[in-house]
Amino acid sequence: MKALHIEPTDFTPNVNFNPENSSFEISGFSRPENAIGFYRPILKWLEEYNEKVLSQNTDFNKKLLTLNFKMTYFNSASSKFLLDILLEFMKFMSKGYEVEVNWYYEEGDDEIQESGEEMSDMVSFPFKFISYIP
Amino acid sequence: MKIDSNPKAPLKVVQQKNILAHFGPLSYEEIGVLLNRMTAYVDKQGMSITIKKKVYSAMVESLENIYKHQDIISGNSEYHPKFSLLLNNNEFSLFVSNSLLNTKIKPLKEKLDRVNSLNKEGLKELYKLTILSGDVSLKGGAGLGIINIAKVSENKINYKFETINDQYSYFTINVRISC
Repeated sequence: MKALHIEPTDFTPNVNFNPENSSFEISGFSRPENAIGFYRPILKWLEEYNEKVLSQNTDFNKKLLTLNFKMTYFNSASSKFLLDILLEFMKFMSKGYEVEVNWYYEEGDDEIQESGEEMSDMVSFPFKFISYIP
Repeated sequence: MKIDSNPKAPLKVVQQKNILAHFGPLSYEEIGVLLNRMTAYVDKQGMSITIKKKVYSAMVESLENIYKHQDIISGNSEYHPKFSLLLNNNEFSLFVSNSLLNTKIKPLKEKLDRVNSLNKEGLKELYKLTILSGDVSLKGGAGLGIINIAKVSENKINYKFETINDQYSYFTINVRISC
């Protein structure tokens, strides 16, 4: 399955979903004028990845799937979709895949850190919190 | 600058600075311009990233509410969207106004009264319930904007509805963020 790359704009984040190395990253800023229009194709890609890649894999040893969030800001409409993306990964776990979620936040940015803690609480799954200095 | 008018009270000088103001139709790009100007101001003052993000969130959610949910009164320029950001001593104060249909007042007032009745933990719980159960409407809102404003403000949201005519009112919210 082909990787999903979406270049960032002034209103939307960078998306890099790479099935080759099982790495999935969303980074930057998210305030799309049309949140459904931006995020629905991403969710559709994940559903297809589930059907075409994960469901076809009969190996006993499943790969680790790494989801990285490196958000600098996201509005409330985006938070709904970031949660939907997370819920897709929770579905992957039920197929026997191990999932890790890394939540990056700029050192001192309590708002992004707290948003991650709330997301983690909503899906009842522990995230790894990583601070960085820009 | 405003001076406390009570002659018996100790003289209290309130420093008030107008940081930003906007009156007129609001495009998505113009919201971005206002956000950039606020960011530049906060950075210049050397304020913390947390304050910047709180004011940023309150501005985004309230201005996007105008953009997505206002009801424009055709041929009337008196009740265009209005936005101002003030700094009073150690508090940012946002005033955001737009026209809306009178039929929207009741549900909006209920939402505002509900968030105003909750503390920080209650707001987190309401946010969680709403995001897990609410469908995002075609306009992109999920009922989360007002909760988010209350979360970042950590103060009650002041609001008023001024009747324009039997169809429309002018809605104003005031959001305060301590810094």
